[in-house]
Amino acid sequence: MAAPAHLLQGTLDLLILKALSLGPMHGLAIARRIEQVTRGAFAVKPGSLFPALHRMEEAGWLSSSWGESANNRRARYYALTAAGRRQLKTETREWGRIALAIESALRA
Amino acid sequence: MLFPRALSLWRNLVHRDARERDLDAEVRSYAAMLEEEMVERGLPREEARRRAAIEVGGAEQVKEDVRAVRMGALLEATGRDARHALRALARTPGFTLAAVAALALGIGATTAIFSVVDAVLLRPLPYRDPEGLAVVFNHGFTAVSPANLLDWKRQATRLSGLAAAESWGTNLGGGDRTERLEGVHVSADLFPMLGVTPLQGRLFGPEEDRPGSPRAVLLGYRLWQRRFGGDPGIVGRPILLDGEAHTVVGVMPRGFEFPPFWATGAELWAPLALADRSANREAESLRAFARLAPGASLAEARAELAAIAARLERAYPGTNRDVTLRALDDVVVGHVRLALYVLLGAVSFLLLIACANVAHMLLARAAARQREIALRAALGAGRGRLLRQLLTESLVLALIGGAAGVGLAAAALRALVAISPGNLPRLETAGLDPSVLVVTALVSLATGVAFGVVPALQAARQDPSASLREGERGSTAGGGHRLRRALMASELGLALVLLVGAGLMIRTFVALRAFDPGFDTRHVVSAVVSLTGSRAADPPRRLAFYREMLERVRALPGVEQAATINHLPLAGDVWRVPFHVEGRPLDAPGEGPRATYRVVSPGYFATMSLPLVRGRDFGADDALGADGVVIVNESVAQRFWPGVDPVGRRITLDDPEKPVWLTVVGVARNAARGEWAAAPDQEVYLPLLQSRTYLEKEGGPFTFMTLVVKAREDPGAIASSVRSAVWQLDGSVAVSDLQTMEEVVAHSTASPRFYLLLLGSFAAVALVLAAVGVYGVMSYSVARRRGEIGIRMALGARPRDVLALVMGESLGVAAAGAVSGLACALALTRLMSGLLYGVAASDPATFASVAAVLTLVALVAAWLPARRAIRADPLAALRSH
Repeated sequence: MAAPAHLLQGTLDLLILKALSLGPMHGLAIARRIEQVTRGAFAVKPGSLFPALHRMEEAGWLSSSWGESANNRRARYYALTAAGRRQLKTETREWGRIALAIESALRA
Repeated sequence: MLFPRALSLWRNLVHRDARERDLDAEVRSYAAMLEEEMVERGLPREEARRRAAIEVGGAEQVKEDVRAVRMGALLEATGRDARHALRALARTPGFTLAAVAALALGIGATTAIFSVVDAVLLRPLPYRDPEGLAVVFNHGFTAVSPANLLDWKRQATRLSGLAAAESWGTNLGGGDRTERLEGVHVSADLFPMLGVTPLQGRLFGPEEDRPGSPRAVLLGYRLWQRRFGGDPGIVGRPILLDGEAHTVVGVMPRGFEFPPFWATGAELWAPLALADRSANREAESLRAFARLAPGASLAEARAELAAIAARLERAYPGTNRDVTLRALDDVVVGHVRLALYVLLGAVSFLLLIACANVAHMLLARAAARQREIALRAALGAGRGRLLRQLLTESLVLALIGGAAGVGLAAAALRALVAISPGNLPRLETAGLDPSVLVVTALVSLATGVAFGVVPALQAARQDPSASLREGERGSTAGGGHRLRRALMASELGLALVLLVGAGLMIRTFVALRAFDPGFDTRHVVSAVVSLTGSRAADPPRRLAFYREMLERVRALPGVEQAATINHLPLAGDVWRVPFHVEGRPLDAPGEGPRATYRVVSPGYFATMSLPLVRGRDFGADDALGADGVVIVNESVAQRFWPGVDPVGRRITLDDPEKPVWLTVVGVARNAARGEWAAAPDQEVYLPLLQSRTYLEKEGGPFTFMTLVVKAREDPGAIASSVRSAVWQLDGSVAVSDLQTMEEVVAHSTASPRFYLLLLGSFAAVALVLAAVGVYGVMSYSVARRRGEIGIRMALGARPRDVLALVMGESLGVAAAGAVSGLACALALTRLMSGLLYGVAASDPATFASVAAVLTLVALVAAWLPARRAIRADPLAALRSH
């Protein structure tokens, strides 16, 4: 939640895509993975996670199916589709460009 | 990309319940796993559950957000909103009913009138390239002579066709009774020029358009159905017309008529066969129709025809005066265009008033619901969601109103066709027009959206807590109230314009009713008696038949007097003949005076109660062989013998070089002629007993007379016995157009009555809507000021003061509306002056009384809520404050 609100949406999409590039996960696992890789900078709450997941599924980047969790709970698993992989590549490239631009802007 | 999206939309909509369950399960599974995770970290189960629940937050909110991102979410929400809107509308049936009624009236009336305008004015005439068709006018009339027609046709290069038609009346035999039919003789090139094809059989060939060729006839669809049961075998068979066999060569399609402005009752057509009168330049009995040559404009064709006519006028002085062309379309609908546009304007005003009314109601409703909206906003409903819901409510209202409007329009259209005066061409083809339905539906939708959204925006923009605290007296009310007062003023203004229009039509109608036709209309019944083709038509027997018929009719019980005339005033044709007054210099050809030509039997003036101001009626002695006599009307007497007794003076209807003098024996009062309330014209009456034309000449126009009968009591009661008396004398004679003189008058004043009826009902509805609008605004205003009124009354204000306060406000708004309405009416009624008679378009009395009526309505509509306010307990009002 430390990140400024207006950065959140695009960033959250990218983080979800990145998390899922390791393999299918359910919602809570995605949230924990993001927390972990950002060292707690992004604490993803269900209120933003679910709409993002469903939006991305509608966009065709994710597919979902019901499965069993590690402790035998029924959970909805999300996986990257081919389009999702392409999207991850594009967004990663975009992000790199923006980060570079901002960094050079701040140094100047 | 489109296909998977569509699929997803489909899935979302169809499997909505499954989706909902799935989502629910997903959110709960997430919460359970969260709880599990926290228990694993060592939290007690209870605490873990509590924290998990908090983190998942309003599960409903999460789900709502997810729904919002789903494809089809919008559609789904709309469906939900629509159901919600229907429930909300059902909770306030009074409001819903009033709003739906206002919308339905506006949409229904507008659609019906526009459908009429579309059928009569806007839709092209049902002929090939109708814009290339034109009508020839000869010194202001459509009648032309054969020789001129043929000369024009030969010389005109800007016309690709010039065809002729002539009115024809014929008696169809072969049934139980001889039936009098209206028909048209047409030149063989007329129908091909129009591009029409027969339903059965064929059109006339050029060989049939010559005198002496076998007689051919084309049947109209209605006649074919009525008399021949739609028998397709009729083509090629003979039918008996005026006692002679005619071969049916074809049947015209259903609804075919030509020309659509004259002889529109025609049910059959036969070749004109002009040849033997092709040199006749005098008898102007033909109507001429032209088709512009390809590439030629109407103006070019008109200029060329004028040049041809000018050459012909030099060769034949007195003819070919002022020859011009008018577009067929213009001739057909030119005379009703103004009236229809006035009605269309009036009805769109009605639509505007209805919309203003609905706007009022929506604004009032929004104000009343501010608290509810604020509450829902406080409970977490998104602004967009609230907006959408209010919007849906307005849309649903507009849709229901629109649907009711369509039903009303269909009913109104049927009623319009039923009561129309019969001078609206093609009215029977009018159907509900989809394009106008779309337009009126859009207008009502726009109203719903504009006035459903404005208050919704205001409500949503507000701080919910402030609104909740303030309750009904929401802080936006001031702005809303200004808007509503503006609406009230414009409603009153629009209603005033409609009322002035209706008021002027009422004055017109009263003036028309008061018009004195010069003869008694209450006791006379008339019938056309046609001898054509019957035994009685033989010249030696004709006079005997008329005499015997009149004797028998006069002997009927209840009959006071009976007579015959060639053309009945108001109903019959108007023929004008040139005449010359003895002792005056000869006029140049075509420049002499003309008079309407009446041929009457003795007793005509007594039968019609048309007074002879001087001299005497024709007698039995004024017969063939005796000196020629004539009765003139006051117009002739005043013009040629001012201040002198005309009796004993002489005129001639023949060539003044070889005159047959007729002595004036009487002067009749001026009487109505062709059109009701038209200025009187010169008329000459000739005795039937001396008329070789009507006693001896063969042919349709001269072998029928109109029988007029004066009844002692009710003329309708003797009508059928009159007809039986004629048929007892000779069953082969056709008796038609049996009607009382009152019916004739009613028919000739039918148009103003129709316009009055429509404008009057629009104005009445407008007045009711405006009154409801004023009442609504003032009720709201009083409710808003309940606290203020309570304080005033607690401080000792008398009820009278409060009444003055409220009614003063209403009066102020009404005055603003009335002033703008009067200005608007003054500008607009000038456009309808062509429909008025006996009253100026800016008639001060009408304007003043309408303004007074409207002010009164505004005062009464304000008085009702004001009275409620002063009757309320001031303490209760203060406490609620």
